[in-house]
Amino acid sequence: MSIAGVARRIRARELSPREAVESYLERVERLDGAVNSYISVRADEALAEAETAPDGPLHGVPVAVKDMIDVAGVPTTAASKLLADNVPARDAACVERLRSAGAIVLGKLNTHEFAFGASTTSPHFGPAHNPWALDRICGGSSGGSGAAAAADLAAGTLGTDTAGSIRIPACFCGVTGLRPTTGLVPTAGVVPVAWSLDTVGPVARSAEDCALLLSALTGEPIGLGENVRELRIGVVEELFRLADPVVASQAQTAVDELRALGAAVEPVDVPLLEESGTINQLLMLPEAAEVHLPWLRTRLGDYGADVRARLLAGLLLPGTAHVTGLRARRWFCDGLRQVFDRVDLLVAPQMPVVPPPIDDLEVELRGERIPYRLALIPFNSPWSLAGLPVASVPAGFVDGLPVGLAIVGRHRGEQTVLGAAHALQRATDWHDQRPPLQAPTVSRTG
Amino acid sequence: MSQSSPSQPAPSIDFLRKVAAQQGVSPTEEDLEGALGFLDVVLPRLQELEERIPPETPL
Repeated sequence: MSIAGVARRIRARELSPREAVESYLERVERLDGAVNSYISVRADEALAEAETAPDGPLHGVPVAVKDMIDVAGVPTTAASKLLADNVPARDAACVERLRSAGAIVLGKLNTHEFAFGASTTSPHFGPAHNPWALDRICGGSSGGSGAAAAADLAAGTLGTDTAGSIRIPACFCGVTGLRPTTGLVPTAGVVPVAWSLDTVGPVARSAEDCALLLSALTGEPIGLGENVRELRIGVVEELFRLADPVVASQAQTAVDELRALGAAVEPVDVPLLEESGTINQLLMLPEAAEVHLPWLRTRLGDYGADVRARLLAGLLLPGTAHVTGLRARRWFCDGLRQVFDRVDLLVAPQMPVVPPPIDDLEVELRGERIPYRLALIPFNSPWSLAGLPVASVPAGFVDGLPVGLAIVGRHRGEQTVLGAAHALQRATDWHDQRPPLQAPTVSRTG
Repeated sequence: MSQSSPSQPAPSIDFLRKVAAQQGVSPTEEDLEGALGFLDVVLPRLQELEERIPPETPL
């Protein structure tokens, strides 16, 4: 059920907070064996908190948060062996805000180790499985958040996004995710990935639900219009060309819907789009290495191989790389600002491919097999680099697997982004489709 | 001041090991090969950016 639906039923006294919590805990118990979206479940605490949840817009709504985000008394593992015993004494600022709005935290969700990768295949906690096809990845790094939202294992979730980590799993799991403007939602109490790029945001069933979570996170109301007639939408054609043609074609149907709703749609070129991935790496890799330096010195062998390699790359880049990255970010943003002088929003396929199998992280694009982690970069890095709000919204299916549309707004333009997403969701039912998930009959493997 | 420079050769594993050691980190050969996989992609692109970025671009 949606956040809006749960909150409405609780307000109408058709459902108590305790019943809502029990209902989600039952689903987690029955279904998460197949999905592995949770790292920890706080069943007793959530049931107790259901009796005393504050009155607020999320009164009694069961949510779950990525295991990069502190919840007092529960380990924040970041899906890593290094933090197995890391039990925070207090909530992260974003959790405090959700709880103040009345939400109840069911547990902590699976992630790529230290949120430093896009497949959510932690060697320490096992992969999160895509509810639409259990042998495929959920994306990442907030893979548990995407999977739990899709499988209805929480009414809504929080993820973090440094270089695509909310948008990628939202897309691959057929749900809605929002990377907010960098700095809009406080990151205190969240394990850092890269200081200048990190964000916290919602992953949920719809734009309406993301708006409810974001409003609780920021303390500011978000009114969702349903009219896109005044909007000028720029189509980033280069990204449509770079995507798998069947994925691009499906994403185009969502753009056609926006046009049919009255938006003025025009093609645009984003300068330095190709270079934006490199610029993002020049910032993210050294910033992450700086965060991890004490552990790189003392516990290097405790990282999974892929994360260790990325962190070492950050350590070994020349010192000038980060300065070049900062200057190049300014160069990129200056060009992007000129694009936003002409349009209100940009749209592109959220991902170039459908989710790949867990055991084969190469994808075929334009006749070439390339690592999945390289294929996703141009679709995600530009907007992270600019710190702009981006929603990934469901845009249909290819071979039964979800496709998403990225909707990018101006700085602090969350209301416009979510308004366009809401209008699209009022006109389509892609976001209402649910995966055909069954309780596992055999033990999970892989 | 923008000018084209000759391509830099990829750093050797021995060089990377020394740079890591100077920062108190002791990776294995396999770790360094993994890191080199990333650096082989990033370093040539870094050099291209250094050459293309308008000199007046501030931080």
